[in-house]
Amino acid sequence: MAAVIRHALSEGWLLLRQRGPVSAVLAFALAVPISLAGVGLSVQSWLGPAAAMSEQASVVAVLLHPRLDREQRQSWMAEQAEAHPDWVLSEVSRQDLVERLERWFPYLEELVEGGDASLPQLVEIETTDPESVGALEGQSEVLAIGPRSSVQQLLGRVARGLGWGLGVLSGILMAAAVLLVSVWVHLELYRHADEITIMRLVGATEPTIRGPFLVAVAVPGAVAGVLSVIGSVVIVRGLSRLAETLGLPAVTLDGRLLILEAAVGLLLPLTAAALTLARHAGHEIAE
Amino acid sequence: MIRLRNLSKDYERRKILRGIDLQVEAGEFVFLTGPSGAGKTTLLRLLYAAENPSDGEVWVAGRRLDTLSRSQLPLLRRKIGVIFQDFKLLRRKNVLDNVTFVLRIHGVAPREAQRRALQVLKRLGLQHRQAAFPDALSGGEQQRVAIARALAYQPRLILADEPTGNLDADLASELLSLLCDINYQGATVLVATHDQALLESLPARTLLLHQGQIHYDGMWPP
Repeated sequence: MAAVIRHALSEGWLLLRQRGPVSAVLAFALAVPISLAGVGLSVQSWLGPAAAMSEQASVVAVLLHPRLDREQRQSWMAEQAEAHPDWVLSEVSRQDLVERLERWFPYLEELVEGGDASLPQLVEIETTDPESVGALEGQSEVLAIGPRSSVQQLLGRVARGLGWGLGVLSGILMAAAVLLVSVWVHLELYRHADEITIMRLVGATEPTIRGPFLVAVAVPGAVAGVLSVIGSVVIVRGLSRLAETLGLPAVTLDGRLLILEAAVGLLLPLTAAALTLARHAGHEIAE
Repeated sequence: MIRLRNLSKDYERRKILRGIDLQVEAGEFVFLTGPSGAGKTTLLRLLYAAENPSDGEVWVAGRRLDTLSRSQLPLLRRKIGVIFQDFKLLRRKNVLDNVTFVLRIHGVAPREAQRRALQVLKRLGLQHRQAAFPDALSGGEQQRVAIARALAYQPRLILADEPTGNLDADLASELLSLLCDINYQGATVLVATHDQALLESLPARTLLLHQGQIHYDGMWPP
């Protein structure tokens, strides 16, 4: 075993020296998606509270026809509560309605002074699905329905979409990195096909043949891990400064995420290389 | 050391070897001769398990080759030293590294591998070329490096495919005496050649292969 490791290290080092610039490109190409994935996860977690807003209940205002008396209103509300169990309906008191109208719409003074006969009744519906209130449109009892999408929900949806987008982008970049490693290993196997054949003929075992390739991939992988950690720290710091300038809380980078990035940097190319070797280096002597 | 039972090998319906039965005892020196295309190289390839037989059995060092698992095959090949017709040297390694490389994959420590490689290179007159790369060597020198590599790990069986093909008469004679030395030390040697001069220079058991069959098995000249 010691001989296999010694051989893998010395031959792997030779492979790295022969392919120095390619190894550097490989390390960089791996570091970029891993780093972006780390940043993406940090931003996703930072956007968490905003994304959660899309799931918060909103209140939709519904104006009922002024001709409805108290009993009719109660009956209508009971009917709606039964039809939509997730709605919480509450009647705004006449006093409260008058105060609101006077504060926000002072030009409706005549309406307020007209008394109960001209003043519509305001009902507030609290729901997590404000769009469902649209079902009330067209009912003879309903005079008007207020805005059904709140700014909070819109922000929440944007934040959630952004989080998903970052996740998908990171996934695509990671897949591209894995593909890059696989192609690199495949090309190296092709380039060293004669040597592999000779090694087999003189009694080299599979770990002896594959070890150098794994070492040659593990080193750029480890470098990629370190680069991705540095990249994530730099980018997240930049984003935090930007957020603080806008009066928003700083983006935080979890230490566990950094460890994960370093581990992925090392393990991802190693796994890709091991799979490629299993697939393409396993052929018996072809002369 | 070698036992073949009703061995046949076909390539796309073309019969290369037909029903060969053969036994070579440990410590024997055997020439395998015959015209080009007789199947000499194919027979050697079957002996180091680069090919599987179409029919029959191949036994080397007490192991039936076509039943060996992939993990057992390298261990068997470590008992066989093959001298290839086309040398099969590692182009990116110098002479010394070509020899030490094999010893190192056999688990020999780097310093010991270097000592043994230098010893065998000296024996083959290649010590002064140890830093040269294969492409800078003549055909004869490359052949000697290939021989050095095969001898370095002191295999129990040496298979040589036209080992004197690129050597002048003096070097060919020197190589033969080297193979005799190794044989004297206990290794079994099987040399495939169509070099009549080589065959006549050493009375030894000779197998004449013709159209995939052994036509003669005995001392040469008869």
